[in-house]
Amino acid sequence: MHLWPHWLALIVLTPLVGAALTPVVALIDRRTPTWWALSTMTVTSFAATMLVLRIFHEGPFSYVPGGWTAPYGIELHFDEFSAVVGVICLVGWLAVLFSSRYTDSLPEFARGRTPYYYTLLLLNCGGMIGFTVTGDLFNLFVFMEVLSLSGYALVAVGGERIAEMAAFKYLLMGAISSLLVLFAIGFLYGITGTLNIADVTARLHGFEGPTAPAAVALGMLVVGFATKAAVFPLHVWLPDAHAAAPSPVSAVLSGLVVKVGVIGMIRVYRIYYGSGMFDLTVLNLVLIWLGAISIVMGAFFAVFQDDVKLMLAYSTISNIGYIVMGLGLATTYGVIGASVHIFNHALIKATLFFAVGAIIYRTGYRTLTDLRGVGRAMPLTAVALSVGAISIVGIPPTAGFLCKWYIALGAFQADRPFFGFVLIFGALLIFIYYIRMVNAFYFREPVHAEVAEAKDAPVSMLLPTLVLASLCLIMGILGRVPLTFIEPGVARLLAPLGG
Amino acid sequence: MEVVDIRPLLAPAMSFACAGMVFLFGRKTHWRRFWMLSAATIKMLIVLSMLPGSLQGVVYTFDLVDFTGGIGLGFRADALGMFFALVSSSLWVATTVYAIGYMREDEKRVRFFGFFALCVSTTVGIAFAENLLTFFLFYEMLTICTYPLVIHYETPEALSAGRAYLTYTLIGGAFVLVGTVMVHDATGTISLGHPGILDAGIGTGRLGFIFGLLVIGFATKAALMPLHGWLPRAMVAPTPVSALLHAVAVVKAGAFGIVRTVYNVFGVDLLDGLGFTLPLAALAAFTIITASVIAIFQDDLKRRLAYSTISQISYIVLAASMLTPFAATAAIVHFANQALAKITMFFVAGAIQRTTGKTNVHELAGIGHQMPWTMGAFTVASLSFIGMPLFAGFITKWYISLGALESGQWWFLLVMITSSLLNAAYFLPIVYLAFFKPARGAAAPMKEARPTLLVPTLVCAIWVIALGTTSEVAGMPFSLAEAAVRFVFRM
Repeated sequence: MHLWPHWLALIVLTPLVGAALTPVVALIDRRTPTWWALSTMTVTSFAATMLVLRIFHEGPFSYVPGGWTAPYGIELHFDEFSAVVGVICLVGWLAVLFSSRYTDSLPEFARGRTPYYYTLLLLNCGGMIGFTVTGDLFNLFVFMEVLSLSGYALVAVGGERIAEMAAFKYLLMGAISSLLVLFAIGFLYGITGTLNIADVTARLHGFEGPTAPAAVALGMLVVGFATKAAVFPLHVWLPDAHAAAPSPVSAVLSGLVVKVGVIGMIRVYRIYYGSGMFDLTVLNLVLIWLGAISIVMGAFFAVFQDDVKLMLAYSTISNIGYIVMGLGLATTYGVIGASVHIFNHALIKATLFFAVGAIIYRTGYRTLTDLRGVGRAMPLTAVALSVGAISIVGIPPTAGFLCKWYIALGAFQADRPFFGFVLIFGALLIFIYYIRMVNAFYFREPVHAEVAEAKDAPVSMLLPTLVLASLCLIMGILGRVPLTFIEPGVARLLAPLGG
Repeated sequence: MEVVDIRPLLAPAMSFACAGMVFLFGRKTHWRRFWMLSAATIKMLIVLSMLPGSLQGVVYTFDLVDFTGGIGLGFRADALGMFFALVSSSLWVATTVYAIGYMREDEKRVRFFGFFALCVSTTVGIAFAENLLTFFLFYEMLTICTYPLVIHYETPEALSAGRAYLTYTLIGGAFVLVGTVMVHDATGTISLGHPGILDAGIGTGRLGFIFGLLVIGFATKAALMPLHGWLPRAMVAPTPVSALLHAVAVVKAGAFGIVRTVYNVFGVDLLDGLGFTLPLAALAAFTIITASVIAIFQDDLKRRLAYSTISQISYIVLAASMLTPFAATAAIVHFANQALAKITMFFVAGAIQRTTGKTNVHELAGIGHQMPWTMGAFTVASLSFIGMPLFAGFITKWYISLGALESGQWWFLLVMITSSLLNAAYFLPIVYLAFFKPARGAAAPMKEARPTLLVPTLVCAIWVIALGTTSEVAGMPFSLAEAAVRFVFRM
């Protein structure tokens, strides 16, 4: 059978089916779930590669399950933004690999239930993949719930009291945001009578009736997705949740799951830009400001953290700020920069969380003070961490640089130089943290014997970390590729329908 | 004529590699010294190997990586860059020898020498940066690499000085970056390989904004008043570091940035019509006079030298903002003239401190009899700063004065004369004390500094005289400066 047209369906189904079967295969042997999860993610990654190759060749394409064509059937649609499945699969795959040893250090209750841990991880990835490739609004909501619910549970796996609290806070905020999104989808269905995204856009184009419901729907969607993306002031759930979760989970949550909110926003923007119903200037301005505040506030809090994982969590807020600001600028440069940063930040943040996770696994400590001198004890891990840190600051030639440059250019293009300043000063603040970290890891004397005697991370942790760290460099040097790749997608996003 | 050549990249890269080796193998004294001296020598040799070509007008370029649409990392050794690289890399050899002698008993030598070697690699990177982004990258690296040197002794005072240093320079760096993005937004390029890339069509307001950002950003490192606060405080660092901060790398990097902004980003023609440089010149003149006055009242020798640096670096800024060929010559040659004279003085201050333990000016009575060679070198440097003919400083003052007359702004002449008098007022008393006042108590026997301290000092002093007397000799740095001026003014 020729699978070429069916990869799009397979990429959604594989992780979900794999997740469901993980507890079953666990009956065979204690180690089987790891291999099962790994092979599931391998198949998924292969599908993702095929899809990305295909979009390189022919541009956006759709899949119609069971031959039910849109707008009646559920449509899967793969466009340039969906190409983020590539990084979802990569990070997901590496997170599974990383977990194979990391699960030993989980608390007692979770160690006996590793099959369920893998189930949750696969469900989470499957949810994200489904979310990014679906062309249907209700489907979007369902996948969002799949990934959110598994996310809440994964945070709680961390096991300490703080993890339970963090998971609960995450659940509370997440549930409210899901509710808002669901209501908004209901509104849109009520107005247009369809759930297909392209179809909703087309029916709203030149819509004659009252516009208020559509406006309310827009507001609810943006707030809902902004909560998922942890944009200031809806970020309160993020630091604890991401810091308390097990490190491979933190990598997935921080690198990928928050991006779901942003991708959701892009989908919403496609509808409203395309329909041309409203002038989005005010909303964009709000987004720019919220993005700017997120950048500065996230970076500011990050600088004063002693706990490395908490610092990374705050830096995620800051980076989401960059993306949201880029979207709000609504200039070609800004949106291109933002879209590519979705991708690059996933790589960078996963590198950082993996490296920190490996260090915590080996030493048992997680604050800068305790980890003094770890750079000499675990040289390879620390190098990967440094590469990640340089990238997150945005120093050339690493992955973080070009996106931030483009977003800054976007700010000047939109004639808002002030936000160019904000962006660069945010980077400056993070840079200070990086200096503190390098200083502690390389130039201070160790305070704990465990740190001084620690060995480099085991292969199953070191390999994912180093692969991602080298990708941070490669994506920096080949920064042109994603920028040109996303360009038609951005052009389509910003253009009104039929014009 | 432009030639693609890897040497502009190789110069910083090789010395980066050697600096890495210092970190890796620095625990053994002989290996540390070997790699440090290799870092300094290899770099100087690479720079020197490009000198004959440069003198004939060859520009070596190397594009390392092009990210997208004119954003990339590239290296380019033009006459101006060569001049700066030549000064910093040759002084580096002297400073390395001196530092080996000075830091002989110190504990954290690996960290010290590793970062020491990194610093000058980044300085050469700054000199050879082809575009503003590469410039910025090395400029920030310089900030980071000097920080561990400033806080070397880790006393509360040193740590607070280090924080002040980082705060000033990192914020300054952010200004430079914003300016760079705006230049890219306005022109689509950030290259430094042209005599000006901006044009008047961008609008005076935006041009003024860009000029302000870049100049403020660079002026923090060049310690232009009122952005000089970090420099005197950074005097807590070991003396070779002070020499590095003041004479070779850090303040010079800032001044070099301003020179690049004026000549390569804006271009003389554009700035001439805009008039942005007049406030800059006034600020520089103010800094020259004020810093000199403050210097007179400093009793700590190194602090006096620090204020003298603030004053002297503004000569470069003043000369650059006059926008005439003669003044441009002065701006460029002053990189060498100030560097050599000031490094001599810092070497002397360090040698006195290591040999006799004295750090204050009033303690120096009679020290000329104790350390005649050292104080002789100090005298040479003082005379150079005062602007005596036959010494390097004279050339600068002469050309700045010519430039002032050329531009019709005669009041700069007054600034020059006042500054000479003030220089005399704060340097000559030291010379007088050293040679003509008897030492308090019993006269100490003659006891010179150890050779590793004395030889670099004397070599630099001899260069001060050489630069002052050989400006018409072909192949000397002066002709490089003239080549740079010809490029800038499209002559």
